[in-house]
Amino acid sequence: MSRASALQVLLRSGPGFGGVSLLCLLIVVALYVLLVFPLDFGESQWSNPIVWVDNPKAVPPTWTNSLRREARPPHRIFEGTEPHTVQMARSGPVHSWRFPLTYASSHPPTFLAVTLADVKYAERPPLVLISLKRPDGKQLRIYRHTVRGPREGESGPFRRYGQTPLRVQLSTDEATVIAVQNFLADEFDLRLDGAQIGGRVDRFLFGVPTGDSEEAFAPLTGDYEIIVQAALREEGDSVGKVRFVVGGAVFGLMGTDSLGRDLARGLLFGVPVALFIGVISALMSTAIGTSLGIASGYLGGRADITIQRISDIVANVPVLPLLIFMLFIVGPSLWMIIFILVIFGWPGLTIQIRSMVLHMRTNQLLEAIQSLGASRRRVMFRHILPQITPYVFAQLIFGAPAAILSEAGLSFLGLGDPSIPTWGQILEAGFRTGGIYLGYWWWIVPPGLCIVLTALTFMLLGLGIEPVVNPRLRRSPP
Amino acid sequence: MSLFRPLLVRSLTMVGVFFVVLLMLVLTLGLTGFSDRILAATIGEQLRAERTALAETIRDPDEMEKVLEKRREELEIFYGLRTPWYYRLPRTALRVLTLDLGEARSLRSFDGSNRVFDIVTERVPNSMLLLTTSFIITAIIGIIGGSYLATRQGSWLDRFVSGFAAVSFAIPTWWIGILFILILSIQLRILPSGGMYSTPPPTEPLPRFFDLVSHALLPVITLVLVSFGPSIYSIRTITLNIAQEDHVKIARAKGLPERRVRLRHILRVAAPPIVTGLLFGLAGSLSGSILVETVFNWQGMGRLYYDALAGTPDENVIVALTFIFTLMYVAIRIVLEVLYVFLDPRVRYTD
Repeated sequence: MSRASALQVLLRSGPGFGGVSLLCLLIVVALYVLLVFPLDFGESQWSNPIVWVDNPKAVPPTWTNSLRREARPPHRIFEGTEPHTVQMARSGPVHSWRFPLTYASSHPPTFLAVTLADVKYAERPPLVLISLKRPDGKQLRIYRHTVRGPREGESGPFRRYGQTPLRVQLSTDEATVIAVQNFLADEFDLRLDGAQIGGRVDRFLFGVPTGDSEEAFAPLTGDYEIIVQAALREEGDSVGKVRFVVGGAVFGLMGTDSLGRDLARGLLFGVPVALFIGVISALMSTAIGTSLGIASGYLGGRADITIQRISDIVANVPVLPLLIFMLFIVGPSLWMIIFILVIFGWPGLTIQIRSMVLHMRTNQLLEAIQSLGASRRRVMFRHILPQITPYVFAQLIFGAPAAILSEAGLSFLGLGDPSIPTWGQILEAGFRTGGIYLGYWWWIVPPGLCIVLTALTFMLLGLGIEPVVNPRLRRSPP
Repeated sequence: MSLFRPLLVRSLTMVGVFFVVLLMLVLTLGLTGFSDRILAATIGEQLRAERTALAETIRDPDEMEKVLEKRREELEIFYGLRTPWYYRLPRTALRVLTLDLGEARSLRSFDGSNRVFDIVTERVPNSMLLLTTSFIITAIIGIIGGSYLATRQGSWLDRFVSGFAAVSFAIPTWWIGILFILILSIQLRILPSGGMYSTPPPTEPLPRFFDLVSHALLPVITLVLVSFGPSIYSIRTITLNIAQEDHVKIARAKGLPERRVRLRHILRVAAPPIVTGLLFGLAGSLSGSILVETVFNWQGMGRLYYDALAGTPDENVIVALTFIFTLMYVAIRIVLEVLYVFLDPRVRYTD
């Protein structure tokens, strides 16, 4: 059968078509990830907590809001580099940033955090003030910070918060708590002590008292404004970056895990990794299985017996316990996982190929070729291999899901390569930290679905290819 | 006589498997310097114990150090730490064989023992319970469903099962378990999410039994759910091939009742390949049960793997577990191979 017509047969079958389209989708996603994500994504981002510090922890995806009666607050990040307005005051230039925030949720934000970076000053340190303007016209200063002054022996210009930006969690910041305390006393005549406010400033800042009890606050919806002001002392002083985070209770397309990691990014990165594991392991074990199978069947004699005994034994080894053991001893690395999967993955194919070759050896064409003086190698590679190639190809495709599932299982046991995030590892994190018992389905279901989808792609491809490989299964034309 | 040879060949393969695994364990332990570390830890522990004993008699710290150093040398020679690992290989093998793997670092057996042997062996029955129950259920569903489907070849049910079987190969068993926990235990609160007994466990035998059943339900369903599709499908195919053979036609032509034809002329002949198919399924369900035990916190050997890998890993426990798993697998396989030889008359007469 020509290649074009083989492809036609493949595409005409339901599973074949499904498999091909899914595979195309996966390849497109994988290429996108390879282009957009850094190759060391695992080390530089995924397992680096600083990257995720401003994300809400363990919250569901944003789209779940449309399924809820009461929408949860979305996650809002405001960032500014160039100041929105510059004024001259007596003390020096005042740079300010104004971030408008329309708040519509019936829940208060989960946290408030502010980050300052790249502060530069010539002599005297600038002062940073953050105020919140509420829809009811009330305004209060929630944060005040004087940048650290010159150290002894240090000479200007001074740079601060360059390498490690200053990050303050306002919800627990002592000064903010006092500011809120004063605000409540002045505006609502409520006298609460610090312990009643600490950690919950968000509900007071974004709410009005309901009057039911001292601490009962209902969220106040409307247009807020966050005003960040930097009182600088000299012309040329600057605050390079300000960032204000209004923590939501939903995040992104796939939600976050308990470290605040964006699960959508982890899941995306898993695509090329899974494809890589599946394809490489299947390719290598098929190559070994096929060549040993041909050698065993065609050469016969002692080689045959040796190969058969070895593959009998390896085929009967309980693989998972040994995989766990060896990975544990050697240390988790993706290459080691692939290597071990290949070592145990070839014998099934060897046994099948051998019996096919034995069958073929009695065939008259082969006898004729041999009597014409073809070398053994020529017979094996030029005459036997082409005949079994379609079958081997189908087995190659069926081999990929097994490898993907094995890697996922090993990762789930905590033996995954820590430098490369995979779907199994995301599931493992969700399981180990108790995510399932807290009902964090967005952390548990999508990675599993990804594994199933990828494995299914190869299964469907294999099922679609079978009729191409095995003409007896091909449907007769109507 | 004729029975002896095939039995021998099959058992020898399994014994081969056993020794290959043992060799791999020992080689990996030796080559990576792992056994050295285990031995050094054992010696260190022994020295610590002796130090407290010696402290009663020896007061001078220098004297003490000298005595201990001498003792360490003796111990290192005794355990063979001074010789290269390959000289110790037989002894390491023997240690693994007799499960003399010392003490676990932090894991304890249910009654508090820290001997690896106690910790691992007390879990064997728990694992066997889960594994055999689901294996038997899968086999029964497979045989009944498969032989039924063979009579309905090409029906929608037949096509559905073959599709389901293919999909089963693409689904991680343990993830299905997690989904069950998420839906049935956490959301709907119908079944317990893990463990083997409630806390505190019922003391009366009958309530205790039902408690165990309610805890075993989800793991068993999980294991069966992903393995019965392939099982039905392979048995259907085997039965179908035999149902098309001439001797079945003759039996029907003779006017034998359909039930008898199915049982005596089809199933009886199909039995040996069916057993082989189930045997191959066993390897899969063994791996599956390790992960399913982990998910459901079933106090078997699989969960022990997970516990031993978490935090500071317990090396000795992991070595022992791998060994026992192989042993268990080989034992079940030998039993089933013997069964196979008895089931298949052809094996007996060809040799």
